[in-house]
Order: sequence, then structure tokens, then C-alpha cells
Amino acid sequence: MATVPGQLIWEIVKKNNSFLVKEFGNGTASVKFSKEPNNLYNLHSYKHSGLANKKTVTIQPGKDQSVLLATTKTKKQNKPSTLLNKSLMKKEFNRMAKAVVNQVADNHYRPDLKKAALARLSVVNRSLKVSKSGAKKKNRQRL
Amino acid sequence: MSAAAARPLVTVQSLESDMATDGAAANSVPLPDVMRAAIRPDIVTFVHGQISKNARQPYAVSNRAGHQTSAESWGTGRAVSRIPRVAGGGTHRAGQGAFGNMCRGGRMFAPTKIWRRWHRQVNVTQKRHAVVSAIAASAVPSLVLARGHKIEEVPELPLVVSDAAEAVEKTSAALKVLKQIGAHPDAEKAKDSQAIRAGKGKARNRRYVSRKGPLVVYGNEGAKLVKAFRNIPGVEIAHVSRLNLLKLAPGGHLGRFVIWTKYAFEKLDSIYGTFDKVSEKKNGYVLPRAKMINADLARIINSDEVQSVVKPIKKEVKKAPLKKNPLKNLNVMLKLNPYAKAAKRMALLAEAQRVKAKQDKLDKKRKPITKIITYFCCLSMHLRFWVYLYFIGSLLLVSQSRASLMQPGWKLPCPVYLSHSVICLLQEEASAINSASKSWYKTMISDSDYTEFENFTKWLGASQ
Repeated sequence: MATVPGQLIWEIVKKNNSFLVKEFGNGTASVKFSKEPNNLYNLHSYKHSGLANKKTVTIQPGKDQSVLLATTKTKKQNKPSTLLNKSLMKKEFNRMAKAVVNQVADNHYRPDLKKAALARLSVVNRSLKVSKSGAKKKNRQRL
Repeated sequence: MSAAAARPLVTVQSLESDMATDGAAANSVPLPDVMRAAIRPDIVTFVHGQISKNARQPYAVSNRAGHQTSAESWGTGRAVSRIPRVAGGGTHRAGQGAFGNMCRGGRMFAPTKIWRRWHRQVNVTQKRHAVVSAIAASAVPSLVLARGHKIEEVPELPLVVSDAAEAVEKTSAALKVLKQIGAHPDAEKAKDSQAIRAGKGKARNRRYVSRKGPLVVYGNEGAKLVKAFRNIPGVEIAHVSRLNLLKLAPGGHLGRFVIWTKYAFEKLDSIYGTFDKVSEKKNGYVLPRAKMINADLARIINSDEVQSVVKPIKKEVKKAPLKKNPLKNLNVMLKLNPYAKAAKRMALLAEAQRVKAKQDKLDKKRKPITKIITYFCCLSMHLRFWVYLYFIGSLLLVSQSRASLMQPGWKLPCPVYLSHSVICLLQEEASAINSASKSWYKTMISDSDYTEFENFTKWLGASQ
């Protein structure tokens, strides 16, 4: 399908979409976040947008303390159910990081997203650890 | 849009009730051109705004409201404001203000009238353009996602279902269909979102709000599917020939999730035509053209045709150097005017020369008697007297007999005390002073340009 190219989609989507979150700041000076799953920084911008780009990367917590790494396939843009190449990773962090870098940068898939992917990976990983061991309990007893 | 070629195929999702299907070919439909039309959110927003005004019912305040009194102003002089007041007596109402928008029980400012222009006219082509854009947008997963539909499990967009769906009679069966084609999450989302409206609307017969689910489009009149699907919350139904922009782009936002039946999908081509072919149903209508056929900027910029002509990237940005003042900075001056060095040198030399020449001239004129003075100071008082005498004498002699100057070594009687060299020096001194004073006198005359010198001399009685 002559897909409407990313730029065009971005022009339509950038003003308003269901994932857009405007927080902090005053009025026009608010920070624009985006809740799409395919957005690595959760920032509302063309580069990071999961809607406007053909190739996107997503890193999310999966089941049972594993991290889900998914990339979109360029050929299947109009088949949402089979769009993503998913892979669950349950390895130690270094191995996962390597896998991420391989998929994102070394493939020349989206080398500009390498840093973002790694950052998100570490944050997700940490959140999984936290959820496993529970949030930090403050010792409220006076010493 | 790749012109004639490549009409991608859309697979038809088969349902359980389908009979054995014959191969992939029968199960796919070429994409109608409508879905490739230009997507124009601006037109859609405009048309949607206009069209949504057309279902309005007029409202207005009663014609007579606030005027059903015979109030008259009491005028001035009664210590009350001049507002018309209700006539009569015996009740609270008597004497109260009436008629004004500021009065209690008065008429409002600019009472609303029923002849307000409630409906809007929109050009037919514009309306069609908007509908076409909305249909095209419904085929782009990003836009449908952006509008908020849950289509992660949908196998393909645009979603085409086999005609068996049109025969579905029971709502339970309809739900099953939705589940099979992956549209259930969207319908579920709509069902979960049912809530009581915030605001006064709830008391005005608009009590509940919910999200929009999928729009099911069918092609055959009187299809049973209408009755089956209509009770599912969030799901709406439409016939292909009567597609409504308000349903295709709810809220003016592109990208409704649409479920087409095969029959409806195939009809789209005849209803809207293609880019080349005129529509059959809409008289003389051709699909609108986009401003840019290929809107993929990234590809255009990186294409061979463009890159081969484009200049290479400037990696090093030239920064402008700080401007230095040539009048103060010699090197910068030389860069601009190489002759400046020679000129400056010559100027310096000339200056030095001038100074020297002036000094010499002055020295010559002043001739400080350094030798004599020092010698003079060394002499005893006795000798000094003689030197002094001799000096004056020689001066007088010199002034009287200039001719004698020519003869070297003329003599004055002098005591032995003064050495020969001193005498010569003295004589030289005297003659030098004499000549200097004469020339000075001459320059004085010539400098002063004294035109009436004759008068002056007469007046002085002096002779040359």
C-alpha cells in the first residue's frame, strides 16, 4: 500500500492524538509526552514517534520479570497483528544490552535510537527488579 | 501513488461459517483507489464542523419573556433610578424594575431568536473530498491507532470480512465475528468506557457517554447484520452508499476503525471512482488529487536524482574571525594596504629629518656658547673682566668695520692673559652673533610683511 509516508502521518498526528500527554510547564510551555508503546523516550516528537515511523523499537516489561524487545517489520505496515518482531529476553543485563544493540544499531535498523533503547532497557530492568523485591521501605523508626 | 500498476491486494478474513474457500486468489480484493486519496485533515475538520451544525434544533427564549408588564419609568425627581417600573400596587411586584436586562424579571440582553442561522451549507465536492479523506485515513494503522482504537490484534487494515458476515442474525454471533477478526478489544474498550456524562448534559437527556468502537460497513440493502450488530455498545453500522463523515471521522478526527464486508469493499470503486475513471454513482465525480504524488520526503531527499545534484555537506563551518581595526593594528593594515609600510617608514624618516633640520636651524640661530661659557666660568674674576671687555670690543669693531671681517687674524690690542684660541673663539663668536642678528633683523622685516616700514622708519627717525 502506498503508505502515507511518515512525514505526512506526523503532520496529522502531531497536533493531537490519543497518546499525547501534556504535562508540567504552563500553557504552551508544557512538555509533550506520548504514551505509545513504540516510543522509546515517551517523548512526543517525530524521531521518537511510534506512529510516524516505519521502523520502530519498543522495549517493555514482559511476563515474569522478562523484557520484551520488539521491532516493527517494514513490510507488514498494514497488518497490525503481525507487525512486530517480538522477543522475550530473560538474560542478565549485559547480554540483553548486547542483544538490543545488535537489533537496533548493528543491523542498521535504527542506529539513531541506540542510546534511547539502551536507556529504556536499563530503566525497565530496574523497574522489574523493584517490582520483584518491593519498593524501598523507609525505616520510619527513630534510631 | 504508483499509477496504474500495483493495486495491492487486501485479504478477506474468512469466518467460521464460510464454506470451503478456493485458494488465496478468491480471498483477496484489490485496494480501491479511494483508500489512496489525499488525506486532508484540514478539509475534514472544516466540513465536519459545518456538517455537525445541521442536526441542530433551534432554541430560543420566549418572544414575550420579560415584556409582559405595563411598566413605565417614574422619571426624575422621585429619588429612584429611571428604570421603567411596574405600575399598580398592592403586591411586591409593584414598583419593581422591569424590561431591562439588568432587572430581575426583565428580558435578557439580545434574546435568542429562532431565526438564527442553524444549518450550514457545504459544497458537494468539499463534502465528498472530506469523506474520501476519511476513508483513506481509515486504512492507515497509525492514524487509527492515533485516534485511539485498539487494533493491535487486527490482522490487516483495511479490514475486510467475507460476505458471510452480512447474514449474521444474532448479536451473540456478531460478537463472535468480532472476536474472530480481532475487533473485539475495540468493542470492549467502548463498552468499558460507558460513564455518566460530566456536566449539565446529564440532566438534559444526554446522560451517558462512551467511546466509539468499530464502524461496520455493509453493501447489501436489508442485510441482517444491521440488526445483529446494532446493540453492541460502541459498534455502529453504515451502508456503503451512505457513508457519513460524522461517523467516519468522529469529532473531526481522522481514522475511525472500519470493518468492511467484501461486498461493500468492492462497491467502493464504483461509488467513488478511481483517479482516472469517473464515479458511476456520483455524477461526474473524480477522486481528488494530492498536491504531492510522492510525499515521502526522506526518500525523495535520499534519492539518486536529488543526491547527485546536491552539493556536499559543509562539515566545517567557517566562523567569521574577529574584526581588528586596521588603524590600530599594523598587520591588519598591511593586509589591506601593503604600501602602508613604506609610507609609514618614509613618514617617520621625514619626520625625523624635519625635526633634525629644525633643531639644526635653531641651533644655528641660537648657537649656544658652550665652550666660551664653560671657559668663562673657569676663569678668575680678573680674567673674566678682560674677556668681557675684549668680547664687547670685538663686537663693536665688527659692527663698525665689516670689511675687516674678511681679513682673518685682525687684531685687537689685548692683554696677554687670554690665549690665542680663546681670542679666536671670541672673535668668531662676535662675528657669528653679528651676522645672526643681522639675518634675524632681515627675517623680521620680511616675515612681518611690514608694508608701512617707510612710515615707521620716518617715525623712528632711524636710518638703515
